[in-house]
Amino acid sequence: MAGIGFEIRKILERDNYWSVLRAYGYAGLVSGGPWVLSILSIMMIGVLAVMLGVEQREVNAFQICVTYMMAGSLIWTGGMQLMFTRFVADRTYADDKAEVLPNLFGVLMLTMTGGFMWAAPFIFSFFTGPFFQQLLLLCNFVVLSGMWIVLIFLSGMKAYGRIIWTLAKGYSLGIAVGLLASPWELNGLLLGVLTGHGYLLFSFLHHIVREYPGNSLLKFDFLDRSRSFYSLFAVGTLYYLAVWIDKFIFWFVPYTSEAVIGPLRASIIYDLPIFLAYLFILPGMAVFLVSIEADFAEQHERFYRAVREGDTLMHIEYRRDQMVYAARQGIYEIFKVQGLTVVLCLLWGRSLLQTIGISPLYIHLFYIDVVAVSVQVLLMAILNILFYLDARREVLIVTACFFITNLLFTVATLQLGAESFGYGFAVSVTLSAFLGLFILSHKFNRLEYETFMLQG
Amino acid sequence: MSMIQAGAEKSPMVRTAGSVVEPVADIALLLEGTYPYVRGGVSSWVHQIISGLPEFTFAVIFIGGQKEMYGPAQYQFPPNVTHVETHYLLHRSLVKPHSRKGNRQPFQEMEELHATMRQPGKLAEGKMIDAFARLDSKGGISQEDFLYSEASWDYITRQYKERCTEPSFVDYFWAIRAMHAPLFVLADIATGLPPVRAVHAISTGYAGLLGAMMRLRRNIPFVLTEHGIYTKERKIDLAQATWIHDHNDDVCNTLHDEMGYIRGLWIRFYEQLGRMAYAQASPIISLYEGNRLRQVADGAAPEKTRVITNGINVERYRGALEKRPGKIPPVLGLVGRVVPIKDIKTFIRTLRMLVKERPDAQGWIVGPEDEDPSYVNECKELAESLGLKDHLRFMGFQNMLEILPQLGLMVLTSISEALPLVILEAFASGVPCLATDVGSCRELIEGTAEQDRALGAAGSVVHIADPEGTAKAALELLNNPGKWRAAQQAGLARVKRYYDDQLMFSSYREVYSEALGVPRHPAVAN
Repeated sequence: MAGIGFEIRKILERDNYWSVLRAYGYAGLVSGGPWVLSILSIMMIGVLAVMLGVEQREVNAFQICVTYMMAGSLIWTGGMQLMFTRFVADRTYADDKAEVLPNLFGVLMLTMTGGFMWAAPFIFSFFTGPFFQQLLLLCNFVVLSGMWIVLIFLSGMKAYGRIIWTLAKGYSLGIAVGLLASPWELNGLLLGVLTGHGYLLFSFLHHIVREYPGNSLLKFDFLDRSRSFYSLFAVGTLYYLAVWIDKFIFWFVPYTSEAVIGPLRASIIYDLPIFLAYLFILPGMAVFLVSIEADFAEQHERFYRAVREGDTLMHIEYRRDQMVYAARQGIYEIFKVQGLTVVLCLLWGRSLLQTIGISPLYIHLFYIDVVAVSVQVLLMAILNILFYLDARREVLIVTACFFITNLLFTVATLQLGAESFGYGFAVSVTLSAFLGLFILSHKFNRLEYETFMLQG
Repeated sequence: MSMIQAGAEKSPMVRTAGSVVEPVADIALLLEGTYPYVRGGVSSWVHQIISGLPEFTFAVIFIGGQKEMYGPAQYQFPPNVTHVETHYLLHRSLVKPHSRKGNRQPFQEMEELHATMRQPGKLAEGKMIDAFARLDSKGGISQEDFLYSEASWDYITRQYKERCTEPSFVDYFWAIRAMHAPLFVLADIATGLPPVRAVHAISTGYAGLLGAMMRLRRNIPFVLTEHGIYTKERKIDLAQATWIHDHNDDVCNTLHDEMGYIRGLWIRFYEQLGRMAYAQASPIISLYEGNRLRQVADGAAPEKTRVITNGINVERYRGALEKRPGKIPPVLGLVGRVVPIKDIKTFIRTLRMLVKERPDAQGWIVGPEDEDPSYVNECKELAESLGLKDHLRFMGFQNMLEILPQLGLMVLTSISEALPLVILEAFASGVPCLATDVGSCRELIEGTAEQDRALGAAGSVVHIADPEGTAKAALELLNNPGKWRAAQQAGLARVKRYYDDQLMFSSYREVYSEALGVPRHPAVAN
């Protein structure tokens, strides 16, 4: 995502408060856009549908269905997203761009038909609704799986402006269709999001096909062991598993959850605060983009240029120090801005919940969730820096830690009782962030040694 | 790790019931980049020695750079070659890089060793022996430690900070790696080599170092023969090497007038290799007095040095002599590999000058062209640009007995030579020679001792890189049949009297017998 740094730089160089605000606003939109827009539009469909007379029960079922499909498709494609991004980067670096498009179709084919193959039997055997509804669920899942792939691909192409604009159009379309079809209740709403996501998938694809040359239709080189990194696949899958595992646990433990539709269950006490909390990481994400993708990325590039182009060891060390400084600054800035967000949430959280009509019983869970997701931004920043250093093994260790501790601690909080809910996730993400910091610091200390002595 | 190639099956490795293993050969010849894969003067000489001394058995140990650089063997081994090994110094390590702490103790000892090596003239024999004996073994520096360990990294960076005067760390780093990585391969060869009675290195450099290691580890005699002076040749290579960047720019030219640090490092490295070989070898043989003096100047103990000159089988060339036409053919022949050290370009320019006076003059370049393709191209382009298409021929490798009768003059424009066999071959087949004043060329053409000189000049000695002078000397001989005939007779007489191969064989017979027969001295008095 180095390209974004440049754009943000341009805005920042105008050097006034308005431009700083704009830069961070833009960065926030770019980094948080996809999920904020999707959460907001799903919520909006729900609210508007209720106003149009759709039963609350149906709307709940709709929101749960979409949440599950999001979670499922993210976990299903997370590994491939990372592995393929790296594949594309390598091909582009090797000036082998013609390889990219056929392989993108290969990835889409694999994730979408693969997703169909396992989701179809699952949906048809566990959902009792009409065939049409089962089909809608299946289509939604398959389309979402494809969409994540093209979305990450497009991010790799730095086409942020287009992404945001297309997302806005796609979700507007989804809301419109959903509301028009709201007389069919759940099915109508599902048709709405399907149309929206389908539009996104195809217009993203349209953009990619126009930009990339291709010499054949389908290729599966990204599976080639010598060219790909299966450890990245593991990292992507583990990361999304880690992010969702606590939710799944709360959904499927009987006394924290209730059945909603088919096999899908929801946890009213757990879900609302956490999804609400996720809206409050936007400031951190914006800072993340500016400080890591712009400042750190630039220092990183300078360090490796110093190594390659024959600088003195002293200068290489100086560049290393500058890079470490940029990383530290970035993490510190995220810490500051998310810290401030947490403080504001602590101050006004109660009135916020009141305003949007959520029971104040949720307040403590909301507090801890805001802290947890703020730390999650830090964790993402640390992982991203490790990715820059190509520390694949280390990233795998941290994500594995995140997954395992989230699983264990969440189960433990269930034993400890309601007042500890949310702490499992929070402690897990904090622990993983500390582990990441520790590893990062170790990595930085040995950076020149590893760069010179351990290259293959 | 190392390739033990076909030919090894010839070696009867007789393993008896106990751990006593019969030697596979009397003498292990340590050959760096020559016999049997590369044709040339040294290779011919090696083949000649093996064939001429059938009473000894030989193991041929070839050390090359990379496998891809060499084709198939160019010589048919005589039956007394009983063991063959082929090794490459620049192979990729099969070990996957992984971080390790590394054993710091031997690196500390290495620092002391390096410090001693920096003092001119001093040789830390005890430390050196220790270091090489333990290389790649427990307690010493292992290859993995050298390549991947933190201890090694700390050592390299500290040395860089203390000494390197050039800016590029990445260049320094890779120079150090490239310099030392072959030492581990050599240690491996030394460990794996089946028993032999003595080793004979045909150069210093890596072959000489292997000889020194063998002597230190196994306490067997180590004979060293140098044709050229390895260190000097490496200096010439390095001075021309474009893969080393000297960081001299226009601004600080006056500050860095001398050669770059890394270039100097390589030269000192090769000098050290030479000194280590000289310290362990006995006798240290050179081809002529000039080189012997040079060896002494480079650190060889004078009492260990001796001269054994090259010789050829004069009888073999009688046919070529008889086949000569009555007229003097206006053909200049340069016999040698097409490489910069032979300065082929000066030969081409000489021909250009000559053709002005003698439009019928021809130039033949006879020798393999596979060693330095870019230089070959440069030469061909030069010939073309000088309009010598009808006068110059690149003939590749040829049968000398057929080429020699067709030559009017043998020309050597080399900037470095030892005792070139082609001059002797030319003399024996009645061809006078023009050669630059390098190596023993003057001794060959003009004679050394008084009696020798009395035979007369067998051609002319010319300056290095002097096409005009060379062309003038050529013209004088070609246009003056009386002078040419006198030179021919002087050459014939000189080669018969002083450079007959029987003289050389009996000298080496004596060297080998002494090495194999005399009770062995302990390598070092501990």
